[in-house]
Amino acid sequence: MLERDKVVVADTMAREAGVLPGMKRGGVTTLSPDALMYDRSVEREREMQREVAFGLLRFSPQVAACDEETIVMDVTASLRLFGGIRRVCELMRDVVKSIGVTVRMSVAPTGQGAWLLAKRGRCRVLKMPSLERNLNALPFTVVQELRPFADWFQGLGCRVLGDVRRLPRAGLKKRCGAGLLDTLDRAYGLSPELYQWLELPPTFSARTELPDRVEHAEAILFSAKRLIVQMCGWLSAQQLALTHATVSLEHERGREAVEPTTFEVALAEPTWHEEHLVRLLKERLGRTELPAAVLAVRLTASSVQPAEPPSDSLFPDPSGSAEDHNRLIELLVARLGSENVERAAPTSDHRPEMANRWVPIQSDAKAQALPVELPRPTWLLEEPIKLMMKNHRPFYGSPLRLVSMGERIEAGWHDSEAVTRDYYVAEAADKSCYWIFRERPVVKTEEVRWFLHGLFG
Amino acid sequence: MAALPQHVESIHPALWRGAQLARVHGRTVDTGYAALSAELPNGGWPLGALVELLVQQPGIGEMRLMKPALAELSARPIALLQPPHVPNSLAFSYLGVPVERLMRLRAPKTADALWCAERVLQAASCGALIFWQQHIRTEALRRLHLAAQASEMLLVLIRPLASAQDASPAALRLGVRPADGGLVVDVVKRRGPIRSEMLSITLQPSPILLSPYGRVRRHLPSPAFAGGVPSEVVASH
Repeated sequence: MLERDKVVVADTMAREAGVLPGMKRGGVTTLSPDALMYDRSVEREREMQREVAFGLLRFSPQVAACDEETIVMDVTASLRLFGGIRRVCELMRDVVKSIGVTVRMSVAPTGQGAWLLAKRGRCRVLKMPSLERNLNALPFTVVQELRPFADWFQGLGCRVLGDVRRLPRAGLKKRCGAGLLDTLDRAYGLSPELYQWLELPPTFSARTELPDRVEHAEAILFSAKRLIVQMCGWLSAQQLALTHATVSLEHERGREAVEPTTFEVALAEPTWHEEHLVRLLKERLGRTELPAAVLAVRLTASSVQPAEPPSDSLFPDPSGSAEDHNRLIELLVARLGSENVERAAPTSDHRPEMANRWVPIQSDAKAQALPVELPRPTWLLEEPIKLMMKNHRPFYGSPLRLVSMGERIEAGWHDSEAVTRDYYVAEAADKSCYWIFRERPVVKTEEVRWFLHGLFG
Repeated sequence: MAALPQHVESIHPALWRGAQLARVHGRTVDTGYAALSAELPNGGWPLGALVELLVQQPGIGEMRLMKPALAELSARPIALLQPPHVPNSLAFSYLGVPVERLMRLRAPKTADALWCAERVLQAASCGALIFWQQHIRTEALRRLHLAAQASEMLLVLIRPLASAQDASPAALRLGVRPADGGLVVDVVKRRGPIRSEMLSITLQPSPILLSPYGRVRRHLPSPAFAGGVPSEVVASH
């Protein structure tokens, strides 16, 4: 990684090859000709920091993005909710990991103290005296304000922060400015800390570029998960629940531009849970066909509503709650498509195929009142089957014998799908019953036609 | 060797003699047909186990056979996975299963259908899952059975009669053929003694309400229960 043509960070392989921070581009090429060199992009670093900060909003609304790629957050109020500091740290580590970066985390009673400890490595300090001890042992270069005077302090024989603190305050203030003393006082808890906490945008729309051109929808999931983590942070910080999200997959731009593939994720039960959203998206992506390679993913929360507090009933229903059922339905819809997950919404129509209406489970079509005690077969065929005639009798596997009186259904003249049918229950030789109808002969065709329409399941 | 106690089955609830029906731990739901209930362990369809119904063809009365159980379980949704034809919601309401509880799932592929069944069982939010599948591998059956054991749901797998030959981990397997006025049930597998003779069951309600010959073919005096054909229907025609 280079900044202004100088090496800033080098990985293990590069270090083994002899690359050192501060080297020029030419020097690196001489040492290892096939080293990959990247220019540092401060904007993208800042974006990444913001992404992580969004994800961490799940744990506390007080998250601040500070200097030197550090995020400071106040979790004091959230400790009990998440079950202690260790658990919070673990969960935070998971969130950061799913965004795809590594982290060094420190805990301290003061924000500035945690900032300084995180600079050197991970360290968990809960009490003021031990914080002081740990801070005193840090090399003084961790403090930003001390770095310009590094040579000078080294000349004084200072190595650690404790040495600097023993110097007279008045002199330090005069030579190094008031900022240094303020920073140290904040770190040691001697003066109050003020942070500019992250301000939440009123809407959420995040985009991430994929590491490579991706051809399979499933492979996008990793990057999409990163967006979901951020969105969940944003949702829980505002105590909102998601009802509708839009995912758009961006393809090639420029001369061979392809329209982005967009799909909606609709939720019956508003949610702010990460796992559920990831699972839904996984199934939805598995069903998506990509017209071209994907370069970037954008996730937009298109509609949200205030989250409901969790139920605190003493005896939760062991056999799955309504929420579980809604979650199940969403999952099924995501995999099978809304046209394959249906509920019955019968209409009042005389024609059996019209009366028996099935609608997608999430549609808001109303079921109309049913006639009670109307004997009908359990199964209807999609299309009535025309029956063969043998000896003037309808034949389906075996000759059918009519065993009931006819029921005349004549309707549909108003929507030009008129039916004129006489329905009978017929019994086959094996004693199974069928619901068959005879189309009443019209003037044109005198032939009597029988159809099989239903089975008595 | 100490003499065995006279009642071996009193040692442990999971123990039964070969000539006895098992006393299953889990809950069961009454079949609604006394003749059938008497032949099943604990007197009903087992919940939280795989039940196989082997039918000659769909539409011979298998839904009416399950109807009393479905009506009882209909406090929670009932999922119909891969039904062979369009389920007629009016008929379900006639059978006493509330229409708003029905959920029809169609899966384009067998893998999707199995995934679906497993999810429904895992969520455990439905009362019953009825699953139609022509061909199913033994591993998939075992997986379904395991998923069912983790839930308190009625899981009925409806398969062709020909698959009675194949081994299955199901707790209960019934072969079903149509017969005059109802069904004959062949108990293929149960936790209990082998039953060689067929069981004849008169299904309620019969589709034949009115005969053209003026003879009302209502059913033999089988015990009446809620949801049967009330006499007004017959009278009103």
